[in-house]
Amino acid sequence: MPAIAARGLTKRYGTRVGVDGLDLVVPEGSLFGFLGPNGAGKTTTIRLLLGLMRATSGEASVFASDCWRKGKTVRRDVGYLPGDLRLYPWMTARSGLSLFGRMRGKDLSAQGRELTDLFDLDPAIPVRKMSQGMRQKLGLILAMAHDPRLLILDEPTSALDPIVQEMLAEHLRSLWRDGRTVFFSSHTLSAVERICDRVAIVRRGRIVADETLESLRSRARRQVRIEFASEADAPEVAPEFLDVSRREAATWQAEIDGEASALLEWLKGRSVRDLSISPPDLESLFHSFYRDDEGSSS
Amino acid sequence: MIGLILKSVRETWVITAIMGAAMLALEVALHVILPQFQTQADDLFLQVPFIRTVISALMGADVGESFTTTLLQAILWLHPVVLTVAWAHAIILCTRIPAGEIERGTIDVLLAQPLSRRAVYAGDSLVCLASGLAVLLGAFLGTRIGAAIWTPDDGALVSTVLLILLNFAALYVAVAGLASLVSALTSRRGKAMGIAFAIVVGSFLLNFLAQAWEPARAVSFLGVLEYYRPADVLRTGRAPVGDVVTLLAIGAASWIAGCVVFQRRDIATA
Repeated sequence: MPAIAARGLTKRYGTRVGVDGLDLVVPEGSLFGFLGPNGAGKTTTIRLLLGLMRATSGEASVFASDCWRKGKTVRRDVGYLPGDLRLYPWMTARSGLSLFGRMRGKDLSAQGRELTDLFDLDPAIPVRKMSQGMRQKLGLILAMAHDPRLLILDEPTSALDPIVQEMLAEHLRSLWRDGRTVFFSSHTLSAVERICDRVAIVRRGRIVADETLESLRSRARRQVRIEFASEADAPEVAPEFLDVSRREAATWQAEIDGEASALLEWLKGRSVRDLSISPPDLESLFHSFYRDDEGSSS
Repeated sequence: MIGLILKSVRETWVITAIMGAAMLALEVALHVILPQFQTQADDLFLQVPFIRTVISALMGADVGESFTTTLLQAILWLHPVVLTVAWAHAIILCTRIPAGEIERGTIDVLLAQPLSRRAVYAGDSLVCLASGLAVLLGAFLGTRIGAAIWTPDDGALVSTVLLILLNFAALYVAVAGLASLVSALTSRRGKAMGIAFAIVVGSFLLNFLAQAWEPARAVSFLGVLEYYRPADVLRTGRAPVGDVVTLLAIGAASWIAGCVVFQRRDIATA
């Protein structure tokens, strides 16, 4: 049973389309990244999954429960951190855990204490006296304290310093090892890349890619710099898989798609003084999705 | 539901305590001030008949030839400031969910809990009604304390005061129901409060105009104040059953409509 399943999910606001026939399957027990630029439909999708909005057409379910009709059941299994987190100004971590524990019919104090210790958050400070980062930590604690089967996090790393980001990543990985599912929505690749094993890219309300990071990496371009022993050693013609952008005497600047094995094979027996190949540039791959978006919308 | 109720109480007890105390103080003050005004008012009634029309319009009923003790006691329950405090309390509390929560963005965290929207709406409404009763209790205590200071020979019986209080409570329920409906229809609390105030102020004006203007009298049944008549209760001593039922029906119908709207609407904080 998938943690999340959406088929033809569409949300329209009058003539504007928020989500446009979105198909998505998030397997249970995965660390799933949901990537897209601002306004791509990520938050609208999440609101549909939580039953905060009703789909214009299509269907969405969480652990096989319909998100709109069985919203209460869905939310029992879900921990949610909103992208634009707002909390009650009077609330402290302690009172928040007590309040939401009562609403869930669960005692969250023990788990909550562990999480406040983990995130180093004073449980007695009210929200109105908290910094943005502290509020984000509290939001995460409240989302995770009831040990949900599915965590839906909308831009969870915003306002967190790099140390806390790394701590969060480690904690999410430990939840994943315990069989929990994490749905991690962000507009920045680096945040998703650090945590997730699979990613869906949403553009203008539609999924344009849905694959493992491994698979994406194999498609991503790499920057290559080849310095031949002399100008005479540099071939006249480059192989098809190598996209040479600049030739300067014996030095080539180029890009390759995917793995470097073909390049290494081609270079065998040639006189090469130096070779550098960058890691797969996922960022540029994602940017290419976004650039396509800008191109098609202009 | 308990968690929801505790949250609502946590957020509303201060305003309820302030308004309850204000209502109590206001009733005591009116008890002290109005008797001093009685003799002058009788003279004014004789010298300036227009005053009688104005007072009748404010009371929503013909006040007769003289400024009687009954009329004085009715003013305790019809004074615009008394009505404003009760209405303000009902509107402030009943526009918190959903409009207030949407506006401040906290509804995302609230509705992420495994609660039905009906439970959220009902839980907050229960607190609103209980708080309203606390404010009306302030008014009742104010009249009792005031009566201890000033006790006219033909003062109202406690049973009559309780009947007026019942009518007042029904008026509160009607305004609270209307405010809840408006809140369910909007995402901005200020807008919801503005519309709800416009409805009750419109009702007040309609009641005022109906005493002197025939076209307004023909449509006066549309205003909630048409069903709140402390002067009649004081005069007859009879329970205003019809008025109370009408006001409760307005409140219940508005509340149910608001609940249905809230259950079906999209929640978008952005």
